[in-house]
Amino acid sequence: MAFWFELVATGLITGGIYALVALGLNLQYGLMRIMNISHGEFLMLGAYLTWLGHTVLQVNPIVFLPVVALALFTLGVAVYWLCFRRIIRTAPAVEMIEARSLLVGFGLMFLLQNAAYLAWGADLRGYSFLAEAVDVGGARFQANRLVVFAFAVGASLALLAVLRWTLIGKAVRAMMQSPTGAQLVGIDTRYLHPVVFGLGLAMAGVAGALLSMVYEISPGMGEPYTVTALIVIVLGGLGSALGSLLGGFLLGLVETFGMHYTSPSLKMLLSYAVLIGVLLARPKGLFAR
Amino acid sequence: MRRFTLRDSIAATVLAALALAAMPWLMSDFALALTLTCLMYAGLAVSWAMFCGATNCLSLATAAFFGMGAYVTAWGIGTLAYGLGVLLGGLAAAAFAALVGAAVLHLRGAYFAVITFGLGELVRHAITYYEKAYAGTVGRVISEPPETVTIYHVVLLVSALAVVTALVVRASRLGLALRGIGSDEERARTLGVETRRAKILAFSLSAFFPGALGAAMAVRWTYIDPLSVFNPFIGFQTVLIAMVGGAHTILGPIASSVLFSVLTEYLRLQFPYLFLVILGLLLILLVLYLPGGLASLLERWRWGKSRA
Repeated sequence: MAFWFELVATGLITGGIYALVALGLNLQYGLMRIMNISHGEFLMLGAYLTWLGHTVLQVNPIVFLPVVALALFTLGVAVYWLCFRRIIRTAPAVEMIEARSLLVGFGLMFLLQNAAYLAWGADLRGYSFLAEAVDVGGARFQANRLVVFAFAVGASLALLAVLRWTLIGKAVRAMMQSPTGAQLVGIDTRYLHPVVFGLGLAMAGVAGALLSMVYEISPGMGEPYTVTALIVIVLGGLGSALGSLLGGFLLGLVETFGMHYTSPSLKMLLSYAVLIGVLLARPKGLFAR
Repeated sequence: MRRFTLRDSIAATVLAALALAAMPWLMSDFALALTLTCLMYAGLAVSWAMFCGATNCLSLATAAFFGMGAYVTAWGIGTLAYGLGVLLGGLAAAAFAALVGAAVLHLRGAYFAVITFGLGELVRHAITYYEKAYAGTVGRVISEPPETVTIYHVVLLVSALAVVTALVVRASRLGLALRGIGSDEERARTLGVETRRAKILAFSLSAFFPGALGAAMAVRWTYIDPLSVFNPFIGFQTVLIAMVGGAHTILGPIASSVLFSVLTEYLRLQFPYLFLVILGLLLILLVLYLPGGLASLLERWRWGKSRA
């Protein structure tokens, strides 16, 4: 029993991070049709910021979380203004926005990843934080994993709450339903787009900061998370925030159980098999009605 | 001025290919290697643009096809003649594309891009797992590679064929159907185009060349492992070259593949990270300010001249 509990819990902890990364990406896609393939690179930046904060400034990583979120938010607004604003204005059709933003995303990926290699080198970096084990219901976990889980789920739920109950959340949902209609009732794209793009990157940055507490970090760490996040949002449905949350947990569980019963080297293969299966059977996502 | 017909274009391609075929006896080894890279990327970019440029579907599966071809060579070398391996590599990729295309080509936009990218990774992980579990290796050593001149001529032939195929497709009913799909798929279907069949056929045709090129180029590396032949960079660079050149043309991708191969050769070895930073920046600037590619510069210039 304790063994099952441990396996499920491990799956949920992994899934919590997946959900957090995917939520930000999905929000950007759902609102602006920007498929930001460099999402994982911003996660990596969040991780390096936290690492720098911990090793250079001796700041507790949890205390540093809001700083990382704010920094990535600002960066996101800047990136939106510099790159994506023009695409959305000049593209003749929605499909062209998707294709061009994907290419710009690749450009950003090359740029950020290799800039990180230039700045910090290819070595794995890390620090030890709350690494002692704790007992929960008969299973043993490292304390930092529980902290990571709590913050990942907390941040995801906070975002869902913002979307559901605040005025800006209402504006975002309206925009997703009908961009023209939303503009007709006075919702201003010029403010909403950069804010939501920044919010998406802030989520990625927080996820990176959380990951740096548990794993070693490197400039290439973001890419697998981008791919996983893409799988998650396809699972949950493009544009659906709740779908991302559930999809993240689902993929975390599938991976953990799959790895346990087959072999760890099949992890990515399992994710892709799930992705392709879902895309073929339910192209609009598992939770679409 | 008389219009440039299909027959003229094919004749020009054949003449250029014949001229290039004499290069191994005229060039230094270094220049030959560089020309080989140019030819490979020209073939990849032209075949990518043949499908994706016309239909506006963003396929990231080039790396998957290329890697499959390379593995046909890796498994067949020693028992299979080199030329036959190249043909089989292309056929394997084309068959795989037809199979997968039938399943995923109804998807559009970001979904299609994501799933074609996923395909490459899927094949890569599957081969890695298979090799580890059943063959007991991580990579394979190519023991007796054919001579560089042979490789050069085979790659030249495949790339020239890619250009000729692209020319023929563009002038055919299939090409017209593909352009119709690119501008408005619903409308094309309403007008009686069998969009599904056209897309599968063209996707499979455009996959043959990366497969064959992968099989042909694999022998250039002495050691083959899934990570190097399924390198997503090959796929990205192909897309990049085609888009920079102008994906709706044929000459554009050829010109930009020469440009990129030369740039890569000189910069990548000296400043590996900085090179990619610059490449990323260049890509962003091009998409933002020249979405039609280099070819649109030429078109703009011609248009201006005809108005004057």
